[in-house]
Amino acid sequence: MKRMTTILLANPLSLLGVLLVGLVVLLAVFAPLIAPFPDHRGAVVDFANFNKPPGWPHLMGTDVVGRDLFSRILYAYRISLILGVVVLAIAVPIGVTLGLMAGYLGGWWEYGLMRLTDVFLSIPPLVLAISIMGVLEPTLMNGMLAVTVMWWPWYTRLVYNITRGEKVEGYVLAAEVIGASKTHIMFREILPNCVPAVVTKMTLDLGFVILIVSSLSFLGLGVQPPTPDLGSMVAEGAKYLPDSWWLSVFPGLAILIAVFGFNLIGDGLRDILGADR
Amino acid sequence: MTHLFKTAVPALFVSSLLSTTALPALAGGTLRLDEVAVGELDPGKASDYADTILMFNAYDTLVIPNQGKPGHQPHLATSWMIDGNTITLTLRDDVKFHSGNVMTADDVVFSIDRMKTLGQGNSYLFAIVDKAEAVDPTTVKITLTEPYSPFIASLVRLPIVDKATVMANIVPGDTEMGDWGQAYLSANDAGSGAYMVTSHNPQAETVLTKNPDYFFGVPDGAPNEVRLVYGLEPATVRTLMATGEHDISSQWLPPEVMSALAGEGAQFFSESGTGAFYIKLNTQKPPLDDVNCRLALASAFDYATALAITQITDGVAGGRPATGAIPLGMFGSNPPEEAMVRDMDAAKAHLAECKYNPADYALELSWVAEVAIEERFALLMQSNFAELGFNTEIVKVPWVLFTERVATPESTPHVSQVFVNAATGDPDTLLYPMYHSSAAGTWQSPEYLNDPEVDALLTQGRTAVTPEDREAAYAALNDRLMALAPTIFGFDRNSVFAASQRVTAPALTDPAQAFGLDTMGFTFRLMTVAE
Repeated sequence: MKRMTTILLANPLSLLGVLLVGLVVLLAVFAPLIAPFPDHRGAVVDFANFNKPPGWPHLMGTDVVGRDLFSRILYAYRISLILGVVVLAIAVPIGVTLGLMAGYLGGWWEYGLMRLTDVFLSIPPLVLAISIMGVLEPTLMNGMLAVTVMWWPWYTRLVYNITRGEKVEGYVLAAEVIGASKTHIMFREILPNCVPAVVTKMTLDLGFVILIVSSLSFLGLGVQPPTPDLGSMVAEGAKYLPDSWWLSVFPGLAILIAVFGFNLIGDGLRDILGADR
Repeated sequence: MTHLFKTAVPALFVSSLLSTTALPALAGGTLRLDEVAVGELDPGKASDYADTILMFNAYDTLVIPNQGKPGHQPHLATSWMIDGNTITLTLRDDVKFHSGNVMTADDVVFSIDRMKTLGQGNSYLFAIVDKAEAVDPTTVKITLTEPYSPFIASLVRLPIVDKATVMANIVPGDTEMGDWGQAYLSANDAGSGAYMVTSHNPQAETVLTKNPDYFFGVPDGAPNEVRLVYGLEPATVRTLMATGEHDISSQWLPPEVMSALAGEGAQFFSESGTGAFYIKLNTQKPPLDDVNCRLALASAFDYATALAITQITDGVAGGRPATGAIPLGMFGSNPPEEAMVRDMDAAKAHLAECKYNPADYALELSWVAEVAIEERFALLMQSNFAELGFNTEIVKVPWVLFTERVATPESTPHVSQVFVNAATGDPDTLLYPMYHSSAAGTWQSPEYLNDPEVDALLTQGRTAVTPEDREAAYAALNDRLMALAPTIFGFDRNSVFAASQRVTAPALTDPAQAFGLDTMGFTFRLMTVAE
């Protein structure tokens, strides 16, 4: 672990990624302490100060109802990160388990699970999420559900491919010979060999999830007002371009920083863990 | 790194400007303007702004409003005579449709019958027509089922359709008249107007060209071609106008964008006096089926801030203080000193009388997606109503979806925001479609108000003959509506449009030439466009 960290930090791009993600996480975690106007995350209007350009005390300006944009971006980061973590916390165990089963058990398991995966993978992820959100009410919970439904198949496919390679390795055969159970072989023998690839993908995916959630909100299907969300802030701010540029540029940059940071870390991890084989 | 680009590029996309589809710059004499989609070309179905702009230019009506003063002037009709429930109109004999056919009384009768049969758009105005007969080619006799004093005003919403052209293009159906030419008229025009439709895509653009044979003549300075574009984003309009590729914005641009355009030399056009901004409360859905809850919301709404939101520049705003249900200047309106004001004490007193606990309900505050400023009114309401303890949920609804949702009281949001104008300039056409129990369930009437006294006063207003009697009926109606609070009367409307300096439109800038009828100012033959 120590060696991994050293290598990661030695790569300038990965180091930048760590710094960016660290910054985002810090801002999100300490949002109530950092945000100059914490109550602006909710149903507050201040028409005396609406649409103010960046300055003091509104570092990134105010929106069309006078709420501090910087404060709202900090709280939006919280929601984006929570969403990202929750979605992966649900999608990854499901996807990995199904991938192990399809890859190791073979036969009808493989056929059934992989065709189901193919069905999900054949639909463009955002289209699938939009369809789900179109049917359900656009709430935070449903947003998570929609994104989770589109996410697990990627892990199934990834783990399935690794498992197919690993199941003919000597250590798996040896475990089978000494009578280890299938569950033991899948989760104790094969799974540890999938971890590097899964961890790398998870890091990259955190950025993707933030992006997809922002896209859903941009289309009015994600997080609903007054809860701050980066995607809907960009969508609403875009109406006022180019004059009130801060309304969309700062939330857009916020998305960029988070996604960029997670991708740089993911790229670095892939190099270290050799997960791109 | 490919991976990185795959994510970074879409991220930039989300963060970047909305794509500004640049329209090619066109030669002089072309007028370019925009409106919210969709553009309904069938004149029998016209009700929204885009539809009405198309209707007023591709079609003619029997009368048109006077400019700068009340009353109506002859147009396709040269004169009219009212005798009880019978109106006899004499028509011009020199009017030709775009097809070359001469307009006769048969076309007028056909247009009335068609409108009544379709039952869409402004057809409710003609529900009281018992029968229309062609006495001779230039005389039409219209008989009403009951007295209706503002009927001449209603004729400004009766576009005359070329019967022969429609009959030649009827799609057969269950009845003898098949589809009444709906399929044809939704894609082509069959009018006599100063402009002819040369191409029409209801979601994208309608192109009209000058009619050289127009019976009234079209001045040389009037635009040769008009391009009415639908569904442009404010940022796109802003960019196109700044680069001289767009001439008149819709009235739905946010005030900041209007103000920025003015800073770059744009002028303002405006129309006012016939409508208001109404915040409509669904009177069939708890907790708003209790009048006290509605009165609480009406008292808690911050009228002054709502008006401040519409401020464009120091002298120009999108509204004026409302004094009640009826815009200032119309029959029955309250005096200017009775402007609506926020009163939290009254709001709390009303809430105490309401049988519901506000915390038990989440009020759905809808705003029309195409009208950016309504989001601010929604947020203002969210903040105002939160002070009374109401939970609220803001919902953005595209216009097309909104018109579908209001079809039943169950699917209608608790709170809807609508700008409504009197279809004919007469208060009857503003208030009847909003508040009569028989008219519920349209975009004008998401209140679903069902009050016998309101119904009776509405009938009284439209049957009273003298101005004094009409004034009395509408004043009583105004009081009753204020007491029932089916609507929060936000502000009286002043529709403002940003326009480039190459356009002149006296009907939209000079009160002495204004029509007193919303959208009529967009009569293109009265505009000029510099080369």
